[in-house]
Amino acid sequence: MAVEIPKRLEDLPTSARRWVGRHVQRREDAALLTGRTEFIDDVVLPRMLHCAILRSPFAHARVVKVDTREAESLPGVVAVVTGEDALRWSHPAITAPDGWGTHCIAAQKVRYVGEPVAAVAATSRYEAEDALERITVDYDPLEVVADPFRAMEESSPLVIEEKGTNVMLQRVFTWGEVDRAFADAAHVFTEKFRWNRVGANPTETFGAVCEWDPMSLDLTVRGSIQSASHFGLGRAATFGLPSNKVNVKSHPHGGSFGGKGGTRGTDIACMLSRKAGGRPVKWIEDRMEYLVSGGSQAWDRHYIASIAVDGDGRVTGLDVKLVDDLGATGEGYGAISAAKPLAAFTGPYTIPVARYDLTLVATNKLPASPYRGMGPPPHFFVLEQLMDIAARGLDIDPAEFRRRNFIPSDRFPYTIPSGNEYDSGSYEEVLDKALDLAGYAELRRQQAAAREQGRIVGIGVASAIEPGVFDWNAYAVVGMQGTGVPEGATVSIDVLGMITVRVGFAMEGQGQYTLVSQLVADYFGVEMDAVRVVQLDTQSAPPSFGPGGSRLGVAITGAVLGACERIREKMCAVTARLMQTEPANIELRDGKFTVKGMPGAEMSVPEVAGTMLARSDLLPPDVDPRPEATHVWTAPGRAPADEEGRAKSYLTAAQAVHVVGVEIDPDTGFVEIFKYVVCDDCGTRLNPAVVEGQTEGSVAQGVGVALYEEYVYDEEAQPLTTTFMDYLIPTVNEVPAMEKVAVVTPSPFTPLGAKGCGEGAIHTTPAAVMCAVNDALVPLGVLAREVPAAPKRLWKLIRAARD
Amino acid sequence: MPEVAAARKIRLKVNGVAHEALVEPRTTLADFLRGGLALTGTHVGCEHGVCGACAVLVDGTAVRSCLMLAVQADGAELMTVEGLAESDGKLHPIQEAFVEEHGLQCGFCTPGFLIAIYELLESDPSPSEEAIRDVLGGQMCRCTGYQSILRAVHSAAAKLGAARSASATPGA
Repeated sequence: MAVEIPKRLEDLPTSARRWVGRHVQRREDAALLTGRTEFIDDVVLPRMLHCAILRSPFAHARVVKVDTREAESLPGVVAVVTGEDALRWSHPAITAPDGWGTHCIAAQKVRYVGEPVAAVAATSRYEAEDALERITVDYDPLEVVADPFRAMEESSPLVIEEKGTNVMLQRVFTWGEVDRAFADAAHVFTEKFRWNRVGANPTETFGAVCEWDPMSLDLTVRGSIQSASHFGLGRAATFGLPSNKVNVKSHPHGGSFGGKGGTRGTDIACMLSRKAGGRPVKWIEDRMEYLVSGGSQAWDRHYIASIAVDGDGRVTGLDVKLVDDLGATGEGYGAISAAKPLAAFTGPYTIPVARYDLTLVATNKLPASPYRGMGPPPHFFVLEQLMDIAARGLDIDPAEFRRRNFIPSDRFPYTIPSGNEYDSGSYEEVLDKALDLAGYAELRRQQAAAREQGRIVGIGVASAIEPGVFDWNAYAVVGMQGTGVPEGATVSIDVLGMITVRVGFAMEGQGQYTLVSQLVADYFGVEMDAVRVVQLDTQSAPPSFGPGGSRLGVAITGAVLGACERIREKMCAVTARLMQTEPANIELRDGKFTVKGMPGAEMSVPEVAGTMLARSDLLPPDVDPRPEATHVWTAPGRAPADEEGRAKSYLTAAQAVHVVGVEIDPDTGFVEIFKYVVCDDCGTRLNPAVVEGQTEGSVAQGVGVALYEEYVYDEEAQPLTTTFMDYLIPTVNEVPAMEKVAVVTPSPFTPLGAKGCGEGAIHTTPAAVMCAVNDALVPLGVLAREVPAAPKRLWKLIRAARD
Repeated sequence: MPEVAAARKIRLKVNGVAHEALVEPRTTLADFLRGGLALTGTHVGCEHGVCGACAVLVDGTAVRSCLMLAVQADGAELMTVEGLAESDGKLHPIQEAFVEEHGLQCGFCTPGFLIAIYELLESDPSPSEEAIRDVLGGQMCRCTGYQSILRAVHSAAAKLGAARSASATPGA
C-alpha cells in the first residue's frame, strides 16, 4: 500500500495547527529535572555483579603472561576474564575497511594505552577494582609508532602484523578534470593544515548491563546505546550468535554526539556474565577510561589542500589530500568520518571539479570514533580557510567572495562533483541576514579602528553545509554496504481513543519524543500530552537505527506520519460503511471523520476506534479491525555509489553562515569571541525551540574544538590528556552569547519539508572561528594552520611575527 | 594492598528524611546516595570534581559528592535533586524555568546545575550576571551551550522574587 506522507505543514489534516512547527515545551523534561529518568547506572537487577577492567599502560607491547589467581581468590570476586577467554569465546570486531579489528581483550599484544588486558566481576565496583590490583601482567614492550607518516614507512613497526602494512586504505577520488582546472587557473592557493584529535565527551560515559543466559544462549544488553539495532548486530557478530538471540534495550542516555563507544566494555561484561553463570554484569565506564580508551577521540588529520580560482574570483577546482590517523584498529568506524565529506565535498559552492586523496593509517593511539558531524567539520575548516586565503589573494571581501561562489537558489536540486544532491537552499539570503544581524560593515569599521591602536582583532564569515539524513551508501568507499536506513514507528489507538506510539530508540536529548507527540497530536486533533510514546527493545521494535547523521527528526516524522496515514485509510473505510457512503467521500480534519459536503455527518477518532475494537458487527467484512499501523520510512531515491563513490547519499542539505568577531591577547595568545552571529536554514523547523537548542549546543562544541579541546599524546603514544583538567570542555565562560536568525527553505523531498539539523553548527563554527583568528593575524603576516588555536600556538605565532 | 577499613555507622538527613547506615569509610558520598539510599537523581560525570554533575547540598552548601566521603556527611543535612519538587509533583520554580527556557537537553548534568543554582538563589535572590557565571562556571553541560541555562537562572530569580513579594504583601 503506497502511503502519501505530507510534504508541507499545510498538508496535515488540521485547520489550526497547534503543535508542529510551534515552539513547544518538551515532555521529556519533568522526569529529567526531578532525577526520575532511569539512566543505565541507575539500573539494579537481582544478582547483579559489577565489572572493572584492567588496561594496558603500554602503547605497544607483547603480553607475556597474565596471572589472575590472586584476584580470583578475593572475597566478592565471582569471575575474571582475560585475552584467552576473548580468543575462545569471541571474534575480532567487524570493521570498515574490513579486517582491521581485534579482540575485545588483548590476547598476544596490546596496541594502545588503555587497551583491556583482563577484567573482573565482583559483588561491588569497589571489590572489582581492588581485584584489578591483584592481577599481574608481564609485558614485553615493542617499538611504538605514534605518527602516521612514520607508520607509512617500510621500516615502521606494524600495529596489526597480519595486515603487513599500517595503511588501512589509500585511494584517490577524482571528480571531473581536476588537473586541467588547476592548469588553467588564474590563481592557485595551497596550504597545509593540521586538525588535532578531539571528541564527544557526553556528560554520561558509556554503561551497560549484560546478561548471558547459559541455557538458552540468549544475550540481553541494556545500555546507554545510540543505535540499539546496530549495536545488537555487532554483538551477534562478536559472539557468533544468531542475530535474533541478542536483545538490546537502550536506556535514556546523557548525551552521545556519536562518541558513546562502549563495544569492548560490553563484550567484556557479556563474557563475565557467561563465566558467572548468567548473572547480570554491570559495566560503567569512568571518565578517565572514557578519555583514554572510550569512544572519545575523532579526527586526527593532516591536510594539504589547494583551490583553483579564475580571473573573476570564481573557484574552479578543489584538491584535498588527507592523511587521517585512525589509531590502532578500525573498530570505532573512524574511516566513516573520512568518507562523509563526499556528501558535501565542495560545501555551498559551485566548484565544478574536485579530487580527494585519502589515506587512512593505523598507529598505536586509541582507535578513532565518530563525533558530531562525523567528518565534514575538519574538511570545512580547511575549505573555508582556503576561501579566505583566496579572497585575500584577490583582494575581495570574504563575504563577497563566498556570495560569488554560492550555488544560486534556482539551481536546486544541485548535484555536487562528489555525487550527492543538495535538495534546496537560499544561500545568499542566509548570508545577507547573517551580515545584517552582525552589522558587518560597522564591524569592519570597528576592526580598522582597533588595528589603528595595534589590537589584534579579526572577523570571520564562514558558510558550510550540514548533510542530513545519512545513508549507508555514503560510506561505500570505505567498505560499508547497504542503501537506505529504515526507521519505523507503530501508532496504536485503543478502544477509548487513547493513542500510543512505539519507537525503537531511547531519549538522548534532542526532544524526539516530544516531536512524535507533536505530530500525532496535530494529525488526530488531540492534546500533545495525551499521546504516549513508548520505547521498545530490539526484539520488539520495528526496524530502527535511531539518532545519527542528523537523520532522526526527519526519519521519525516520516515513520509516524506514514503510520497515521495508514490508520486514517482504515478509519475512512469504517466511517464510510457507517455513513453508507464510499471511503473516498470521507475526510479526516481536526480529529473528525466527516462526509464531504454533509456538515454534521461526522465521527470522532475515539468513536471510530471504539467501533473497530468493540462493534465487529458494524465493520465492513474485509477491514483490518485494528486502529493501529506500523510504517517504516526510508529516504526516497537512494542508490548504491559508483566506483568513484558518487551517490545521492544524504537526503537533505542544511546551510548556515556564521559571523564571528575575535580579539587575540598578544601577551597570552588567548582568543576572546566578542561577536557570534548565526543564520541557518534547515528547512521546516518542527520545533523551533529544539532546533535553537541544537544550534547553541553545537556552537559550544565548535568553539571547544576550535580553541580549547585536544587529545595530546607523547612520542611513545602515551596519552597526556587523561582528565577534565587536561581535556578542556568549554564552560559558560568560554561559550559566546549568540545572536540567531533563520531562513526557512523547505526540502522538497522530506516529510513536512524538514531537514536534518541535529549535528548543526559544528559544521560551521570551527571554520568561522578560525577564519576570524586568521583575519586577525593578517597584519602580522602569519597564518594559524592548526586546530585548536590554543593560546600556546597563537602566542608563538604572534611572537615569531614580532621578533 | 591495605585491608579495607571496617564499616562505620553514620546518621544523616537527606531531603528531610532521617537515615542511619553502615558505610565503608572509602565509600564516596555520591556512591552512598545513589547505591545506599537509591537516590539516583544525583549523577556522576567525571569522578574527579570538575564537571559538577554530582553536586548536592550539605548543610546548605553545594559540594561535589564524588569528592566527599559518605562518613564525612555524618550528622549533616543534605538536599539532592529529589528534594526540589514538592511531594505532589509540582516543580520548583527553578525546574519550571528550565522547562520554559529549554535549559536542558539530555538532562544528565541538570541535577548538578539545579543544586548549584538553588544554592546561589538562596544566598543571593537577584544575582548579577557575573555572580551567575561564577557559579555556572563550575558546572559542565555538553548539550545546551549554556545560553538557555543562563536564561533559566534569570527567569527563576524573577519567579522566586515574585513569589516572595506576593507572600510579603498583606492581604495578597
